[in-house]
Amino acid sequence: MLLFWPMVAVVLAGGAGAVFARNLVYAALSLGVCLAGLAGLYLFLQAEYVAVIQMIVYVGGILILILFGVMFSRDVLGRATPPSLGARILGGFAATAVLASAGRLAWLVSSLEGTGLSTTRTPTSTWQGQIATDAKFHLGRLLLDGWLVPFLVVAVLLTVVLLAALGLVRKDAT
Amino acid sequence: MAGPDRLLPYLAVSAALFALGALACAIRRNAVGYLMGIELMLNAANLNFVAYGRFRGPEAAAQGQVATLFVIALAAAEAAVALGLVFAVFRTFRDVDLEKVRTLHGD
Repeated sequence: MLLFWPMVAVVLAGGAGAVFARNLVYAALSLGVCLAGLAGLYLFLQAEYVAVIQMIVYVGGILILILFGVMFSRDVLGRATPPSLGARILGGFAATAVLASAGRLAWLVSSLEGTGLSTTRTPTSTWQGQIATDAKFHLGRLLLDGWLVPFLVVAVLLTVVLLAALGLVRKDAT
Repeated sequence: MAGPDRLLPYLAVSAALFALGALACAIRRNAVGYLMGIELMLNAANLNFVAYGRFRGPEAAAQGQVATLFVIALAAAEAAVALGLVFAVFRTFRDVDLEKVRTLHGD
């Protein structure tokens, strides 16, 4: 509890930096701070495996891809082109609408006490059976049991995406 | 580690992140900045998956985490394709400003 709110501040500050930083390199690095903070939030939800995957795939992989993409920008070390007034107004309006509706929904859900979705959690020590003793083992079983078809589809998709990305950057592609 | 025992803080963080991502998609003219906004929104959804599952019970906690793993895998695939597109757009237009990519715009 002592660490939770500082972690939330890190996540939101990183996210704000990714949106508002004029220099895109700084924006990408802020995004990295935000993603690492989210891995910390997963630890508070007892999702250690997801936290590790978040650090490896997002911070270690996707962020490197994004930093590489930033290098294509005309304004790598200068200031990015500022958004037009119309885009600012539209963006502010859309973000306010999203924040208001999602916040309202979160408030409604969290007031649904005792209607199936429990809004106060039980400690993992009270969980019964195999899930409580070996959560990671259970995740692996779930992937190869109920989620087997999506798992295989994602494997095929990753192969297709790899080939498609190679095709997009081929030298004689238009 | 022990976080708050109520669902609302997690949902509030997720809502704020999603709004930031939507704002980035609206105001960024650079294709890579736009991609960062999409990643922020995906992460907001991931946080919701894990939080809802954790507060629902043991079985739902595992299901939510598996759903999050799939979203992360798809986000990685999406980032690879997006970078390939950025590369192709840069080679054609010598820029990745989304306002300048308007070959199909009829005027």
